[in-house]
Amino acid sequence: MKKLSVAFLLALCASFAAAPTVNKGKAFGNPAAPITIELFSDFQCPSCRNLHMTLLPSIMRDYVVPGKAYLVYKEFPLSQHNHSREAAAYACAAARVGKYEQVADALFQNQPAWAENGKVFETVASALTPAERTKVQALAQDPAVLNEVQSDYMEGQREQVNQTPTMIVIKGTKRWPIAGSLSYNLVKQFLDDISK
Amino acid sequence: MTSRSKGLRIVLLLLRIAIGGIFVYAAWTKLREPASLFAISIDGYHVLPEWAVLPLARMLPWLELLLGLVLIAGFWRRVSTVAASALLALFFSLMVRAYVRGEAIDCGCFGPGEAISPITLLRDGGLLAAAVFLAILAWKKPRPLPYGRGSVTTSPTVETVPPSD
Repeated sequence: MKKLSVAFLLALCASFAAAPTVNKGKAFGNPAAPITIELFSDFQCPSCRNLHMTLLPSIMRDYVVPGKAYLVYKEFPLSQHNHSREAAAYACAAARVGKYEQVADALFQNQPAWAENGKVFETVASALTPAERTKVQALAQDPAVLNEVQSDYMEGQREQVNQTPTMIVIKGTKRWPIAGSLSYNLVKQFLDDISK
Repeated sequence: MTSRSKGLRIVLLLLRIAIGGIFVYAAWTKLREPASLFAISIDGYHVLPEWAVLPLARMLPWLELLLGLVLIAGFWRRVSTVAASALLALFFSLMVRAYVRGEAIDCGCFGPGEAISPITLLRDGGLLAAAVFLAILAWKKPRPLPYGRGSVTTSPTVETVPPSD
């Protein structure tokens, strides 16, 4: 019996250790909301840009702000995009100064330019104050921030994310991956269906 | 009946049950989730207007279920095998089209989370080939038995051979 209890405790500890951590700077809405949406995205991916600029504002307005959904951003830089990981590191660094959303907006809006010329930090800097720029530039080299990007990526691989953007919609123990270019009406219908 | 034709009958039976079972499973993976989830997968193919996607997502799994059950039960073999072949041909052509265009979309075959890949194409292509094979054999008239083995007529309209004494 004692051995069983020890084994149970060890398994419990292991499950907590394996549980993904949420960077509060990259999460929006009420953590106790009935639905959680984990968004695995790549800053250099055109479909992610499309989702960020068209679908996400509607999800924020209708589900995140009213407390119906908790949105968590996850980095999933694809290897074929040469500036993705750098952009993800800057965004994670910006999250630590409370500017993730602003930096993500700047990166997606100017994606065609920096993806071409590689001026990622200049784009990030446009969304920050001079003091924040210095801090974010230093933080982007911090091993903890680089580990966070890698940890998000590994989590995506565990979730079998095979394309970006992928939203993992979670309610209770159920998880539904939704990927590709999406119509808001259908996503809304789905979120309403599972909210019932 | 020769051992060869008996073997073929067993193969056809197993193939029909396997394809029917796959149709039933595909239907079940969709029916256990909200129809809107399957609608999102259908919409990814960009072949239908948005208003048509949700009604199709509600109807298609029931059609798959019905077809699967009919295939397993062995009713209306000619119609059911042709319907299965047509449906699989449609799915396969849409998947090939998306893959060739480089669209990274969900296959939607057995619920969400499975992107179109060479593996899904190979699987659906194999299923299509098997369904077409079943349909061809269902429509093919049985060959007359050699003389001396049963009363065989040469009339092309006769489909069954009376048992020999």
